[in-house]
Amino acid sequence: MTADATLPGQKLPPLPRWTGTARYIADESLRSTVNVAVALGRPLLVKGEPGTGKTLLAQAIAEGLGLDLLTWHVKSTTRAQDGLYLYDTVARLNDSRFGDRDVRDIAQYIKLGPLGQAFERAANGERVVLLIDEVDKADLEFPNDLLHELDAMRFRIAETGREVVAGLRPIVVITSNAEKELPDAFLRRCVFHYIEFPDETMLTQICRVHHPDVDDKLLAIALRQFLRLRGVPDLRKKPSTSELIDWVSGLRLAGIDAEKLESTLPFVGVLLKQEKDTQRLGRGDWSRSAVTRR
Amino acid sequence: MFTGFHGMLRAAGLQVGVGEWLTLVDALDKGAVGPSLPEFYAVARALVCRDEGDYDRYDQAFAAYFQGVALPLPVQQAAQDWLEKPLQRPALSPEELAALEHLDLEQLRKLYEERLREQTERHDGGSRWIGTGGTSPFGQGGSHPTGMRVGEGAAGRGQAIATAKARRFRNYRSDVVLDTRQIAVAVRRLRRLERKSRRFELDLEQTIAATARNGGDIEIVEKPERRNQARVVLMLDSGGSMDPHARTVEAFFSAMKQGGGLREVEVYYFHNCPYGDLYTDMAMFQKKALEDVLRSVPPHTYLVMVGDGWMGPRELFSAYGAIEYGMADGVPGIERIEQIAAAFEKRVWLNPIPENYWGEATITAIAEQVPMFPLTVEGMVQAVGALMGRGDRRQKQERRSPWPEARDPDFDW
Repeated sequence: MTADATLPGQKLPPLPRWTGTARYIADESLRSTVNVAVALGRPLLVKGEPGTGKTLLAQAIAEGLGLDLLTWHVKSTTRAQDGLYLYDTVARLNDSRFGDRDVRDIAQYIKLGPLGQAFERAANGERVVLLIDEVDKADLEFPNDLLHELDAMRFRIAETGREVVAGLRPIVVITSNAEKELPDAFLRRCVFHYIEFPDETMLTQICRVHHPDVDDKLLAIALRQFLRLRGVPDLRKKPSTSELIDWVSGLRLAGIDAEKLESTLPFVGVLLKQEKDTQRLGRGDWSRSAVTRR
Repeated sequence: MFTGFHGMLRAAGLQVGVGEWLTLVDALDKGAVGPSLPEFYAVARALVCRDEGDYDRYDQAFAAYFQGVALPLPVQQAAQDWLEKPLQRPALSPEELAALEHLDLEQLRKLYEERLREQTERHDGGSRWIGTGGTSPFGQGGSHPTGMRVGEGAAGRGQAIATAKARRFRNYRSDVVLDTRQIAVAVRRLRRLERKSRRFELDLEQTIAATARNGGDIEIVEKPERRNQARVVLMLDSGGSMDPHARTVEAFFSAMKQGGGLREVEVYYFHNCPYGDLYTDMAMFQKKALEDVLRSVPPHTYLVMVGDGWMGPRELFSAYGAIEYGMADGVPGIERIEQIAAAFEKRVWLNPIPENYWGEATITAIAEQVPMFPLTVEGMVQAVGALMGRGDRRQKQERRSPWPEARDPDFDW
């Protein structure tokens, strides 16, 4: 199988290299990976700790490349078929009695799902970014059921006999929280990237994007406290980047000054969501215990 | 082009097939990769790794090929793998223990490195090679008085004076993964689909039929959704001899809880053998009387017991046989197991000990009451088959105990 961004008979409009956006800071390896996935026309599978910006990545890619974003939030009951199309039998039945539409025209009762829409728009020569969010939430066989359509880039609507053929490959971004293992055959077809937790320099950059006018000293100390908190062993849920950004907003809104932050940890509820974790810190003075732990 | 790198990746244990490699070549061909090493690093990693667990191996191979860093001895990884599934250790008398040579740390390191270079296969229960359950100074779960523990498994005599340090990336690695996906797929076959749900769905056929009878006036007919009604009672042995198998049991447990889509999973713990009380927490603080558990079981509940079933015969066959203080029970353990067996028509026992050791008296006695299967992916698939009434299709294999005392009927306990 050769995965080619263009299918026969179609011209691929050249896409610019994706370099992140003003609001989304991506490190070099992520940038290269995204560009390779786009060039090869393969789905990009993104894993990483919660709150490291997996879902935002798809938005950033769409924004950076100037394409539309379609989102498919996967739930535990989602089936692969739902992504392609739904046949609204009830509406048709209802129309047969009360409606004024021509019920013989089944096509009007077919509603395309996110994947179906992405294919349809690609058939019309428009590239879109499709986000399949939290693919691991669904049934075990869900990824396998998607394989055929993602490979062939076409599907048939059984009720009308119409076939939707995507002329060019939409950019597919798939996120997973690793709640369930994904099947091998599925993994083989994806470009895989694991978003690592950002280091201090990158965290500073990210905070600067969201809080451009934050006081340098406050940010430095907040970051140090945050990283120290992440370093506490056996936390059930480590605070993530998105929580850090919220926390800094809170600190600024409450007007907490840098000196005070050295010795206390205000609004800890923003960072720690598990009761057990909060209790852990509650024992004894935070700053002293944190120092000895290091 | 870089075919040496391909070989290096495979040598590091990554499953890079021709397909993956051609994709990488294709990517380079298309100019999707900039002319820099960091970019090549990122792109190749995205194409050959399928999991963050592979990153460590990839890093090793990359360093080996591009920076000439030697790959770690492949033996080391293999040795790690042998140690993941330890053999049970036979008890040694104090005299035998004393007879084993005592070594200091320095001697031990030297010897370890020598053995690593020489050893080429798995060894269990021996006295020289790196393995499990033996009396060699190296390995896991063994009985050498001043031995060196290799890997992160459970302690044997708890006297390991050094633990061979794993590389710092190891926390991302997942060689040990007993594939939870496979187990979950197996467990999913455990189902009793019944239309008993409180959620309703449209019954299209009946709706059309009713509408037609109604002269075209729409009449909606609903029916309850099909739901899996299977309930499972899990009884887990949390005794000390189960420690080496903790990871396997965990994988099984989580697959059961999350992947199975079962209606209900009730979990109880016991120590070595179930007696008059079961426990609802692993720490065994919350008691629940066995009789209460059995009485409240709804019909058609499947029973899955997990344990090694390996204990002193007294613990199973005598009244007041429990070794744990506070568990004393006037009824012998085996009778308790009979009670349990009588309460569940569909029942299996999963045993983490390899099948050829099941000749042990206590294990045989238990297996007569509760059909026993090995706690492996294959065993679980068979166990689920047995629960679903497909019977036990395994070929009988010879079972004998490797310990002379168990074979000798006159042995004095």
